[in-house]
Amino acid sequence: MASSQAAPPQDAALRERFERDVLPLLPSLYGAALRLTRNPQDADDLVQETYLRAYRGFGGFQEGTNIRAWMYRILTNTFINSYRKKQREPVTVQDGEVEDWYLYDKLGESGVEASAETEVLERIPDEDVQQALEDLPENFRMAVLLADVEGFSYKEIAEILGIPIGTVMSRLHRGRKALQKALWQTVRERGLVTD
Amino acid sequence: MSPIDCEHALRQIELYLDGELVGFERVEIERHLGECSPCSGHSEFQRRLKQMLRAKCGCDEVPAELIERIRSMVEASDPHRPAR
Repeated sequence: MASSQAAPPQDAALRERFERDVLPLLPSLYGAALRLTRNPQDADDLVQETYLRAYRGFGGFQEGTNIRAWMYRILTNTFINSYRKKQREPVTVQDGEVEDWYLYDKLGESGVEASAETEVLERIPDEDVQQALEDLPENFRMAVLLADVEGFSYKEIAEILGIPIGTVMSRLHRGRKALQKALWQTVRERGLVTD
Repeated sequence: MSPIDCEHALRQIELYLDGELVGFERVEIERHLGECSPCSGHSEFQRRLKQMLRAKCGCDEVPAELIERIRSMVEASDPHRPAR
């Protein structure tokens, strides 16, 4: 996959800026790549390809603009263009029947006391939470990942994904509802509440 | 009494927690949450859910070999730096 040759910035100052500003983003980009590709080998390739493209294009990047958003745009574009085709898309979520506050309400109905609701969240194993996110349909997954895990604003997400802000809001809202439904399933399967 | 009702507040909590409310809208919802225990409970749960997602999905360890490959890509392009 990552066979492209980098045509590196010729300027030493540019290379230093790349090392200073872009290399430290590697851990969060790798985490995002794992959630998008859903397997370590593809995540590895996707991140390497992202860095190659970023390095080649770094000369055109304007200092002072949002470097994180710029890198995530490259990551998501690379994912969409190169990896999506071979991905098995999860079954479409029928989220129309999922109420707002689904998880909160279900925990309340199952008798979990208000003060203990967040403790139940903490007890869900990391892998189960990651799986629930990875099982979301791709458009929802990208929106939730960028907002909740990476902390981007709606405007930044709109720019990263090249979609209107209204679409960001809609995907986030629907994605979060679907995620809550999946987490409730996990909570029950793990016996974190008694029915 | 708070100028917004619970229905309005619950609709706005997502935007509020995402940091997307500014000015008067933000002040209004903060005032409502300060006065309304059920809405405040909803908001707190949602805030913790976001926090939990970030903590549990953002802690992957990068393979050392990938770090090395990317560092090498940058270093290899520097004619003034000795090859490792």
